[in-house]
Amino acid sequence: MDYKLPSELKYTPTHEWVRVENSLIVTGISDYAQHQLGDIVYIELPELGAIFDKGNVIEEIESVKAVSEFLMPLSGEIIEVNEKLANNPELVNSSPYGDGWFVKIKISDPKELEKLLSLDDYQEVIKKDEK
Amino acid sequence: MDLITKEKHEKYTPLHEIHLKLGARMIEFAGWLMPVQYKSILEEHEIVRTHAGLFDISHMGEFILEGADVIDFLQHLMTNDLKLLEESKSQYSCMCYGNGTVVDDMIYYEETPERFRIIINAGNIRKDFQWLSEHLGTYNVKISDVSAKRCRLALQGPKSDKLLAPLVDSDLSALNRFFFTKCNLNEIPIIIARTGYTGEKGFEISFDIKSVETIWNALQRSGASPIGLGARDTLRLEACYSLYGHEISDTITPIEANIGWVVKEKKGIDFIGKDVLLRQKAEGTSRILVGINLLERGIIRQNYKLFKNGEYIGYVTSGGYSPTLNKTIGLAFIKTEYRAIGTEFEIEIRKKFLKAIVVSTPFYRKKNNK
Repeated sequence: MDYKLPSELKYTPTHEWVRVENSLIVTGISDYAQHQLGDIVYIELPELGAIFDKGNVIEEIESVKAVSEFLMPLSGEIIEVNEKLANNPELVNSSPYGDGWFVKIKISDPKELEKLLSLDDYQEVIKKDEK
Repeated sequence: MDLITKEKHEKYTPLHEIHLKLGARMIEFAGWLMPVQYKSILEEHEIVRTHAGLFDISHMGEFILEGADVIDFLQHLMTNDLKLLEESKSQYSCMCYGNGTVVDDMIYYEETPERFRIIINAGNIRKDFQWLSEHLGTYNVKISDVSAKRCRLALQGPKSDKLLAPLVDSDLSALNRFFFTKCNLNEIPIIIARTGYTGEKGFEISFDIKSVETIWNALQRSGASPIGLGARDTLRLEACYSLYGHEISDTITPIEANIGWVVKEKKGIDFIGKDVLLRQKAEGTSRILVGINLLERGIIRQNYKLFKNGEYIGYVTSGGYSPTLNKTIGLAFIKTEYRAIGTEFEIEIRKKFLKAIVVSTPFYRKKNNK
C-alpha cells in the first residue's frame, strides 16, 4: 500500500511526524499510522503549558477499533494544541499533516532532533511493521 | 504511538484470497485471520444501516445433529424451549453449565424433527463439540462438525431482500423472521435464513465450500458491499446482541446478561442449569446487564470500571462509539440496585472519572423490522 510520507518531515519509530519551525516543532501521526488506526472518533488532548519528556504519553487516540497512545516525539512544553480535533477528530484521517496536526511543542533539548528518523529510515520501520 | 499488535493466528476462511484482493485489513479473531475493515468501519456501518452489506462469517462453527432423539437431546442441553420450534424454523438459545453460566449461545435450525443444523461461535467450536458429545449418553443422536466443509455469509441491511430475491429460486417475501429455506442460487444449493446480528433486515446463508467464489461474487455484483468485523461489532452493539466473552461467558448466566427470555420453564423437562436459572429468574441476581451512555466526551471499552460515590459497582462488557447515534454507548454489569434507567454513576477511564447514565436498550431499533 502507498502512504503519503512527505520527505521534508522527520519521523519517529512510533509513527509520529515532526516539522521543525525554529525552536518550535509541530507534530502529529503519519499517514501510515492513521491508516492502521482506522476511523478516529475521539482524541484526549493534553493541557497547554504541560511539560513532558520524550516518549511520555500525551494523548489518547480512540479509533472505532481501539485506543492508542500518542507519544511525545521530543522533550519540551506544549504551547499549542489543535482544538479542532476535539470536535473533528476525523481530521487526523483526512489530513494527517495538515488540519490533523496534534500539538506544537517548544523543545527543551535540540540535540534530540538529531535522533529523529529521515524518510528513508522511517520507510524501513513501516516495512518491518507490515511484515 | 502504539499500533495494534498483530497476534498469531491459525486459520483462514475460504474467502481469504478474496478479502486480500479487496484490500481488507486483516486481524486475528478467535484464532482466525479475518477482515476487520475493507475501507472504513464508519462507512461500512452506514452501508448496512441504509443499504446492504455482505459479511464473511465462515469462521463460525456449523454442526449437524441427526437421529431419532435430537429434540429430546437438545431440550436437555438448551435453555430455550424447542416446543416453540417447527420445521424450517430456527431458534436462538444458550447452552449452560450446571451452575447456569454459558457454554455458548447459538442458533439451531430444525430441518426435520430428526435433523438439526447448529451455528456456533468461532472460538467455541471445539468446546461445544466436546460438551455435546459428553452428554450424548443413550440418546440416539449423531453429531457431525461440518464447519470446514461449508461457507457461511451474512447479507444484512434494508436492501438485502431486493438484492437477493432475483438471484434465488425461492419466494423470499414468504420467509418470516427466524425461518429458513433450502433453495438454489445459480443452481447451487444454499440455505437461507432470515436471521442476523446487526439489527437490520437480512439473511444468513450457508452452502458448500466449493461454491464460495460464485456465491460471494454473485452477491457482491448484486450491489452488496463487503463489511468487516469492525462494523459487525458496532452494529451488534447498537442492536444490543450479546457477544460471547463479553456479555455472556462461562462466568455469566443468561439471567445476569438480561436475556432471561432464552430461559424457558419447560415444564416436565430437566435441562442443564435449570435449577439455578429458574431460581435466578424468580429471585433476581446481584448484578445485571444494562445499557449505558457516557455523558462526557470519551470512549469506553471492555473492563472499564463503574463507580457510585466511590464504591465499585460494576464493569463495562462492551463499549464504543455508536456511528448511528453519534455518542458513546456501552453494555455493563451493574449492581442490581443501580439498574434503574436514569441512574447516574462514573466510569474510570485512565484514572479519570467520567459521568455516565443507565439508559434503555436496544440503542438502535429498526422500525418495521420484519
